[in-house]
Amino acid sequence: MKMKKKISFSFGKGILLAFMWIISLAMFAQQITVKGTVKDTKGEPLIGVTVRVEGTSMGTITDMDGVFTLSNVPTDATLEFSYVGMKTQRIPVNGRTSIDVVMEEEAEMLEEVVVVGFGTQKKVNLTGAVSTASSREIESRPVVNVTQALQGLVPGLNISSSNGSLEAKPSVNIRGVTTIGEGSTGDPLILIDGMEGDLNSINPQDIESISVLKDAAASSIYGSRAPFGVILVTTKKGDPGKITVNYNNNFRWGSPVLKPDMMDSYTFATYFNDASINAGWSPHFSSEHLQRIKDYQEGKITYSIIPDPNNPQYWADGYAYGNDNVDWYDAIYKSSTYGQEHNFSASGGISEKTTFYTSFNYLDQNGLMKLSKDFYDRYTVSGKINSELTNWLRFGYNFRFSRENYQRPAAMTDALYWDLARQGWPTLPLYDPNGYLYSSPSPALGLATGGKDKTMTDNTYHQGFLIFEPIKNWITHVDLNYRITTAERHWDSQRTYNHDVNGNPYVYKSSSNVHEDYFNDNYFNINAYTEYSFSLNETHNLKLMAGFQAENLDRTVFGVQRDGIIVPELPEIDLTTGLDYNGNPITPSVNGSRDSWSTAGYFGRFNYDYENKYLAEINLRYDGTSRFREDQRWNLFPSFSLGWNMAQENFWETLLPTINLLKFRVSYGELGNQNTSNWYPTYQIMPVHSNEGSWLQNGTRPNTAYVPALVSSTMGWEKVENWNGGIDFGLLRNRLTGSFDYYIRRTKDMIGPAQELPAVLGIDVPKTNNTDLKTYGFDFELVWRDRLKNGLGYSAKLLLSDSQTEITKYPNPTNTLSKYLEGRKLGEIWGYETIGIAKTDSEMQEHLVSLPNGGQNALGSDWRAGDIMYRDLNDDGKIDDGANTLDDHGDLKVIGNNTPRYLFGIDLSADWKGFDFRAFFQGVLKRDYWQGSYYFWGVTENKWWSCGLVPHVDYFRDEVSNHLDVNLDSYYPRPIFGTGKNQQVQTRYLQNASYIRLKNLQLGYTLPSALTTKANLSKVRIFVSGENLWTGTKTSEMFDPETISGGAEGNGNAYPLSKIFSFGLSITL
Amino acid sequence: MKYFNIIRHILSIFLICGFVSCDDFLDKAPQSQITPENYLNEESQLAAYANGLYTDILPSHANWSYGTFGIDQHTDNQAYITYDNRYVPGQWKVGQTGGDWYFNYIYSCNYFLSKVLPRYNSGEISGSEENIKHYIGEIYFLRAYEYFKRYQEFGDFPIITEPLPDQLEPLIEASKRSPRNEVARFILSDLDKAIEFLSTNIDSRRTRITRDVALLLKSRVALFEGTWLKYFKETAFVPDGEGWPGKEKDYNADYTYPTGNIDGEIDYFLQQSMDAAKQVADKYIDKLTVNTGKVQQSASDPVNPYMDMFGSVDLSGYDEVLLWREYSKGLGITHCVVVATQFGDYGVGVTRGLVESFLMKNGLPIYDPNSGYEGDDNIANVRKNRDPRLSLFLKEPGQKNILYESTEGDHAVPIEPIPNITAASAEKAYSTGYALRKGGSFYQNQCGNGQSYTGSITFRAVEALLNYIEASYEKNGTIDAKADEYWRAIRSRAGVDTDYGRTIAATNMSKEALNDWGAFSRGVVINPTLYNIRRERRSELMAEALRYMDLRRWRAMDQMIDNPYHIEGIKIWGEMQNWYKNEDGTSKLVYGTNDANVSSPERSMYLRPYEKVPTSLVYDGYRWAMAHYLQPIAIQHFLITATDGKTISTSPIYQNPGWPTVAGQGAQ
Repeated sequence: MKMKKKISFSFGKGILLAFMWIISLAMFAQQITVKGTVKDTKGEPLIGVTVRVEGTSMGTITDMDGVFTLSNVPTDATLEFSYVGMKTQRIPVNGRTSIDVVMEEEAEMLEEVVVVGFGTQKKVNLTGAVSTASSREIESRPVVNVTQALQGLVPGLNISSSNGSLEAKPSVNIRGVTTIGEGSTGDPLILIDGMEGDLNSINPQDIESISVLKDAAASSIYGSRAPFGVILVTTKKGDPGKITVNYNNNFRWGSPVLKPDMMDSYTFATYFNDASINAGWSPHFSSEHLQRIKDYQEGKITYSIIPDPNNPQYWADGYAYGNDNVDWYDAIYKSSTYGQEHNFSASGGISEKTTFYTSFNYLDQNGLMKLSKDFYDRYTVSGKINSELTNWLRFGYNFRFSRENYQRPAAMTDALYWDLARQGWPTLPLYDPNGYLYSSPSPALGLATGGKDKTMTDNTYHQGFLIFEPIKNWITHVDLNYRITTAERHWDSQRTYNHDVNGNPYVYKSSSNVHEDYFNDNYFNINAYTEYSFSLNETHNLKLMAGFQAENLDRTVFGVQRDGIIVPELPEIDLTTGLDYNGNPITPSVNGSRDSWSTAGYFGRFNYDYENKYLAEINLRYDGTSRFREDQRWNLFPSFSLGWNMAQENFWETLLPTINLLKFRVSYGELGNQNTSNWYPTYQIMPVHSNEGSWLQNGTRPNTAYVPALVSSTMGWEKVENWNGGIDFGLLRNRLTGSFDYYIRRTKDMIGPAQELPAVLGIDVPKTNNTDLKTYGFDFELVWRDRLKNGLGYSAKLLLSDSQTEITKYPNPTNTLSKYLEGRKLGEIWGYETIGIAKTDSEMQEHLVSLPNGGQNALGSDWRAGDIMYRDLNDDGKIDDGANTLDDHGDLKVIGNNTPRYLFGIDLSADWKGFDFRAFFQGVLKRDYWQGSYYFWGVTENKWWSCGLVPHVDYFRDEVSNHLDVNLDSYYPRPIFGTGKNQQVQTRYLQNASYIRLKNLQLGYTLPSALTTKANLSKVRIFVSGENLWTGTKTSEMFDPETISGGAEGNGNAYPLSKIFSFGLSITL
Repeated sequence: MKYFNIIRHILSIFLICGFVSCDDFLDKAPQSQITPENYLNEESQLAAYANGLYTDILPSHANWSYGTFGIDQHTDNQAYITYDNRYVPGQWKVGQTGGDWYFNYIYSCNYFLSKVLPRYNSGEISGSEENIKHYIGEIYFLRAYEYFKRYQEFGDFPIITEPLPDQLEPLIEASKRSPRNEVARFILSDLDKAIEFLSTNIDSRRTRITRDVALLLKSRVALFEGTWLKYFKETAFVPDGEGWPGKEKDYNADYTYPTGNIDGEIDYFLQQSMDAAKQVADKYIDKLTVNTGKVQQSASDPVNPYMDMFGSVDLSGYDEVLLWREYSKGLGITHCVVVATQFGDYGVGVTRGLVESFLMKNGLPIYDPNSGYEGDDNIANVRKNRDPRLSLFLKEPGQKNILYESTEGDHAVPIEPIPNITAASAEKAYSTGYALRKGGSFYQNQCGNGQSYTGSITFRAVEALLNYIEASYEKNGTIDAKADEYWRAIRSRAGVDTDYGRTIAATNMSKEALNDWGAFSRGVVINPTLYNIRRERRSELMAEALRYMDLRRWRAMDQMIDNPYHIEGIKIWGEMQNWYKNEDGTSKLVYGTNDANVSSPERSMYLRPYEKVPTSLVYDGYRWAMAHYLQPIAIQHFLITATDGKTISTSPIYQNPGWPTVAGQGAQ
């Protein structure tokens, strides 16, 4: 072929042309233009049928008359005709220039195949609860990892991000609470091409499809590693025939979402003074100090701090004397950050029998930190080769490598989120009058100069497999899988300096050290299984499968730390002195450990169907684990499922045109969970530490040892029983499809905090299998997909899922509310009912008079205007929590539940004449949350654990306070240090953490093929895509409803999520 | 044939898998963790175990406070910026859970003894016999110390000597409270074992427990129980006393004292105290740290070892210090005490009561016509001619706080300013106006915030002398020859006239009763001799964390049930009010309003830190309730040991006298 014309692109031109040249040499033998008409069985022309050259992205759609024209079609190509609700057809061109097609309606989506455990299954024949997501649904999302893109895409797959920092991994869970998490975990098993892997490090664009196995019938084949569901990721592979090459990119700009705003300095000082005065303390800010704060705001003075009156060589303490006006959130977070992603892939057939797929991806994402960079880079490479060695033996090898580089300031730890606002008073000087960062302590100095924390994580996957098929339909697989994960972490904690009044540096934090951590996982897995399928009289279809699986993981960790960085710019372990600031030696600390676990299991499956109408499946798994001693080690886990395809019955004939699919499913299974947090839960361990003691001996930290925790020698499996009932349907030519599942999952003999025992025991009671819970709920999915005659294709997808959990067994003999309660729902929030804030002293007195037996004395004293009036729910004439037990809970009641309920996703998309549009919403319809941290309250009992954010200005004032007017209709009560009496858990301040969020909005345009073919490109798409663009919520404005439970110890102050705007381009050869 | 071969190969793969999966593959024991079978078999392992418990059990400086010097903050000696609810009857409430009914460190000690003693007895532990015995002795000592803490709070307390099974029934049984004197006897028996096992010279730096420490603690414990029984005799606070709650439980109903009656028991404990105290006192009486009586004010001045003993990095040179904890800035083991002394001792001020109870250098009380006392119109006068233990440690504006400069230490205050009585933050506040430099240092490198690393004293030998004097007097009612020798030695070292008889003669109890809770026992003023023994203790052990212990065992707070006590500081409404002037001559002091920063002159000439605003719950002074001598037991402990989990009366545990068994309620 020849290059007719050069199309000029603004970037990547050279590389692109080189590829085109190579590929065109190999591929384009002879090309023709094909025309034709597509009609339905009644002879009506079909508009909007997709016509595609198989194995490429080259294609078009039929016009108003059902006519299509495709140029540059190779004479030996095959055309694929697809249309919603019609059977897809493949027609070889064979040199013809005119092809007319009649498409048949598809009564069922018989063709759709779903990946299930150790195999595939036609969707229509599924009896377990399986949902899928396709690569299309995660396309062009400017996210950092796949998990983020999956949020809201699959009903029952719950993904939440409680932290927006770049390395944060969203938590993933299937169908709600699995265990109470007090000794065991219930995360889903994530398998990438059949092998356990990390969903966050995979190249999102390698993904072909994702199956989520939700019930026991679907996941039990994986046994004890998958009691709470499986996420099966299948990656792309090459198709025989033409080679396809794709390059795409996107460029992104991010900004923080729902970042809190701080009060201005003068308001803040007024607020804190009011809280001091209310407490009967002296005001924190003297009138002279207040004046200085005001003068600084008004520009009358320019210094942010004064010299220390007692020691004028130094600046004074910021808390006692600072007069700056800083919003520390603005000081540490950027308003805009940048990222980019590039992806290249090539796939196809090397020969008739051998195919390949390969990809390279680069992601460069910067974070929001302002004073010292945080960023995340990811490089991934994958290669895949499949070959038919003989007619009975196939062979394959996958290779995948990912490298993740993450860097953040060493001071960006939990402590930052713990301390940010309490050590970030607006009055604290960010810079001293000489322009040096000044720490009082406050967050900026450490972030800017305190050193860096870098982690490099590599994942390498090798997967080899052989498939034998000596006799037709008897297929045997042997897979060998190996994964090596290494992580190297380096952090340096640098000496930091404040500066004195003359600008001379002096040490603020004298210690400096370098820390190196090394982490290595070696995971090995063998799967061998054989299956045989056959039919009797074409009506009874049977499939048998049996196999064996074993896994082993070895983990090695070590780390070393030494003090005394010699050259701050060279923070390396061999460039440290081992001395402290004063030259005294400090023993370097080292740590290391070696651990491993293994599992082994035998499994079998039996499938039966009668004319695709009546379906049955039985799974058995016999599983053993290294975590339990021999007598508890092995267990048998069965599952059963049945299905009835009602629409296949003869009596359905007449309904078939409207209701194309109607299937009922039911399943039951028992599974075991061996995922104890401790890998050796039956062994007692002595906590022994070197150079760790804090009572020094001979000037060094001595070795220490502590009493070993008790263990339960009878600890064993947690049993998981799973019921699922479901219905699948397809209506109106399968334009409307959907499914509904209801499930009950009981986790029995769960490892939980043991029964409370008398304190004389003197040690924590060992955790053991003593708790049961029940989780139940539903998953619902409804999809409408259609294409109008004018060529507008559109679809709408609605997902809704719900789960609730009840504790069914728990040893809590006193029924204290501070522990789990049998028969109660998980997540219940016990609190007082708020009558309101007393507007006057007399209103409060009136209220107290109505409580003759002790008033509100149990909660505090000195009640007046601006304080909370609590309701006496049990009419005993006083407000208290009784014995804080279920039987005597005083005036407490259940005021809410923090379980996220009714998780939904709404996915709207449309395409027309090359334009495509998508709007994807995700959210939670109901969730209560009690956020009692100082970020919520502002002023708390302790002045040093208090802050002043903008929403806190709405506090009760019955007299003018400096520039703040009287505020009797306030949201917050009067601020008081020294008491938490107004901050009891109560209805008034319960947060509504439900939300709806526009997770993704994208608009793309595919250049007309007439144009692209001239450049020898089969498809060019440009797009803009936005993430987290809009949020609807009633949560208090200092919190993001998604991260309200995030932050240090759940205080809700987390690294913000990002709003992202991006654009990009995708070119397919 | 070809197919057959393939089938055979496939089958063999399965067989291999089958073999691999045998239990060997699944047998995984911890590879890099130590199981109990492999530990506590060797001398250094015993030491490591003890090391972990030192910080857990023994007192020492903690960060962001005045360390051990601030522990007396809620007594008549020292006053924090905010008051404590124990002086507001009704406000100290029974908790639902938690409290000091806590056995975890006891378990840790019991675990050690249950593992190590059998191995030791059968000779299975490797290492030097002396060292092995020493570390076992340390654990006996630590268990005794931990028990002493619990017993001070609760009195009657379960005696647990071995790790108990994690089963409800035996634990309910074990929750039975032993009468307090039995607990004290148990503590003494542990200390006797420690005394037998501990070596005298395990290390020359005395950062480890020694035999002398055990003897000193023994004298302290025995003195505690002896005086407690004496002063609480016939009340609900002693076994078999009137209304003793132990009587309600079958297991204690028929309790009789091992010595037959309470008087015999009192004698027994006081004698034990004297015996143990004497052994330590005689050994150290000549090794007491020298006191020059002068505050060093320049680097070229001679140091005052007595002052430096409380604020030096290395205390191994002070023989009087029997046990101390070492700190290191480089190792990140630091505290805040020196920084605190640069300001107002982290909000812990000294009371007027304590300042006035110090004698003059000539041994006379300040109110004596011949005392030479210059009054308290300013702090300089207060210090003049006083017992050097006051004049050394009481800070005076204008004094140098720093003699040795350094760039590390941005929280230094080189010259002592006028006390900042209006500051609201604990870090800066002088709650009473009087502040101490005990624990301070003249080295600026100690003044990084939270970065002080001076040693922390745990036991000081001089206490043995004081214990002997008091125990012998309480037992025999006279000052015996030993007591006389000890008393003179203490006063001689302090720099006060050694003629304590002259002091006793000049003592006017009605004056002392105004300021000193220790002037009372059972609500009645005590005799001048005993009072001066207590005064000596108060002066010598000022800010050393023993005051509240003493006040409790002396039963020295009954008088506040009817007569509130006002915590006071400097004489703010005298000439010192001129210290607090704005540039325009107006006063910075605000009183009588809601945002007052000082108490009103109408209430007192002296600063009353808790009486600035009328909303303060102690606006009318500190009060007391008998129940407050002991801590209430939290309700959950009753419920969990009740037979049905609900009915508190079925629990073997009984509440302390005067406390209800309802959470959230105060004592009667």
